[in-house]
Amino acid sequence: MESLLDLYGFLSVVLHAAELVARTAVLGGTVFWLGLALPLAPWLPPGDAAQLRRIGQRAVAWAAAAGIGTALASSGLAVLALGATLDAPLADLLGADFVRAAATAIAAMAVLLAIALAGPEPGRWQRIGLLLAAVALLLGATAGSHAVARTEGQAVLLAATALHQVGAALWIGGLPALLAGFRLSPGSARMVGQRYSAFAAGGVGLILLGIAGYWGGYIGGTEALYGTAYGAMSATKGVMFALLLLLGASNWLLLHRYTASPRGLLRVRRFVEAEIAIGIAVLAVAGSLTSVPPAADLPDDRVTWAEITERFTPAWPRLESPSHGDLAIPRLQAQLDAEWQAKQAAQRPQAFTPGEGLLPPRNAQDIAWSEYNHHWSGIMVLLVALAALLDATGRVPLARHWPLVFLGLAAFILVRSDPEAWPLGEIGLLDSLRDPEVVQHKLAGLLVVGFAVAEWWVRLGRLTGWPRFVFPSAMVAGGVLLLAHTHAISNVKEALLVELSHLPLAVLAVVGGCARFAELRGPAEIARWARWTWPLCLLLIGLLLILYREA
Amino acid sequence: MRPACNEGRATPAPGRPALPPTVPATRPGRRALPALIALLLSAPALAPRPAAAHAVVVGSDPPAGAELAAAPPQVAIRFNSRIDHARSRLVLVGPEAVQQPLALAPERDPTLVEAALDPAAPLAPGAWRLRWQVLAVDGHITRGDIPFTLQPR
Repeated sequence: MESLLDLYGFLSVVLHAAELVARTAVLGGTVFWLGLALPLAPWLPPGDAAQLRRIGQRAVAWAAAAGIGTALASSGLAVLALGATLDAPLADLLGADFVRAAATAIAAMAVLLAIALAGPEPGRWQRIGLLLAAVALLLGATAGSHAVARTEGQAVLLAATALHQVGAALWIGGLPALLAGFRLSPGSARMVGQRYSAFAAGGVGLILLGIAGYWGGYIGGTEALYGTAYGAMSATKGVMFALLLLLGASNWLLLHRYTASPRGLLRVRRFVEAEIAIGIAVLAVAGSLTSVPPAADLPDDRVTWAEITERFTPAWPRLESPSHGDLAIPRLQAQLDAEWQAKQAAQRPQAFTPGEGLLPPRNAQDIAWSEYNHHWSGIMVLLVALAALLDATGRVPLARHWPLVFLGLAAFILVRSDPEAWPLGEIGLLDSLRDPEVVQHKLAGLLVVGFAVAEWWVRLGRLTGWPRFVFPSAMVAGGVLLLAHTHAISNVKEALLVELSHLPLAVLAVVGGCARFAELRGPAEIARWARWTWPLCLLLIGLLLILYREA
Repeated sequence: MRPACNEGRATPAPGRPALPPTVPATRPGRRALPALIALLLSAPALAPRPAAAHAVVVGSDPPAGAELAAAPPQVAIRFNSRIDHARSRLVLVGPEAVQQPLALAPERDPTLVEAALDPAAPLAPGAWRLRWQVLAVDGHITRGDIPFTLQPR
């Protein structure tokens, strides 16, 4: 049970993010089926009409099944963690408000699933059932949100939460169904796309209304955007929202202004695929945000703009491995000791989630080691990016072997991650593998080897089919999970300053993964841009790693 | 590698489970790098990161770090969120790390968790901790300690 509690903080956020993605797809799929597919079908050729109805039906069925699974896992984990810490009978735990809210949502999704499984063309009462179940799902989701625990402005925040979720469903939730709809004949696909873009535009409006409510109730001011974890995550969400708007606007132009040639629709499909990936990343941030105290509740001990500029002022990278003889280390340690003592003297009440852990006192040797690792890794990522950029020019044949530069990074991770263990430390390789963390690091290094070789084969044309997308998919998934990780509960400045450097890395990973995916998928006019985009993302990731500092 | 850290692990009171103290996390930067690189390339290598929830302490009686001449008749903690009182608990952890669960007072404010101390069982001088665990009504579990010291008479 202790292991469960150690994992609770991390797992709860990941499961909540997955639940949010599935729920958004359920609501979006229901709107697509009820509001788009069924009314539009009579205007389409019979074959397309039947297929469009089936797309709506399947979108709801699959999303509802996933939604039920993730909601059961998420609420089940919370009940288990509560039971483990309180030693209370299960019946007592099941009476908690959040369990009732989750039960409402699960029941609503079960109804949606049952109706979807009944057939692609629901009757009048089944349509009413779909609508009522979707409303019940929205109410259940809102009843389990941050807003319900607030004491001030609760009505406004509940309304903002509901609007925000409906907006996300209208815009993002129906995208998988829309993507499937593009497989219809070009004329029908264009009609589906045009109708969907009206829903998406409405969704954007509702999302903005929700943001306005959140701004007053949860954030409270611009300084919270960089001074707190909640604010920094919200700002990251804002950046990705802007990217989504850009893609959405491009789609709108392609669907409404230009001819719906098959190649034009192919471009829209690529943009929609990118929208789905970035949309999932945005929902991952939203899931992560629900576990963080709102910025408005943490007025003290925020990171200041001066601290951010001081931390992010470029400094020469640490390219030599630190040693005890390094004169800078004792000086840095003295500074850290003074900071730690000042923090202890503050005696603020602390709060944690089971599994969160406390940051141990900072150690100058650790920081120097970490900075050295980040900086050399950054240099290698930078080299990969430069080689890929050279390859994009098409003028340097040798540069097509750029993925092999990742092998240097893999070797670096394998050697440097655990200084106590072989080959740097005194602990032998086999002995060190008893520690799960060492195993994890070694696996990470080996995975990088795997990706390097696979991507090399892709570049040489030896690997075709879906394995081509492993590398970009992993980049997107990595970025999403980095965004979905959890955060220090109070304003732990050091953790937040580290996080501020990692958030752009995650966004760049998502964008870079989408670009590489688009390059591999085509069409040529998109691949031409994408070929330059993802190496630029890697270049920026490398630079951020090189500039990374912990003190 | 993860440092061994059992210091401060509390002993549960007879018949009641202990609230396990929080396990120290690893330094974010040093531990995060391999996971970070792998993350950017591979999801399965994700390492657990520091977590959080959102019920945070707004104020307490006694306040954190207080030095008291005598034990207070009752303890109270105010949170920023509405709390599910039936699924929350307070425990006093004494100088010998013995845990003493407290019976929560009936709810009179959704953000306030209170408990009266038993006057028949006076607290010994020394360093005490008011260990709390609350369930916010939206389902987030949060816990923490409020340290205070009772001065010798």
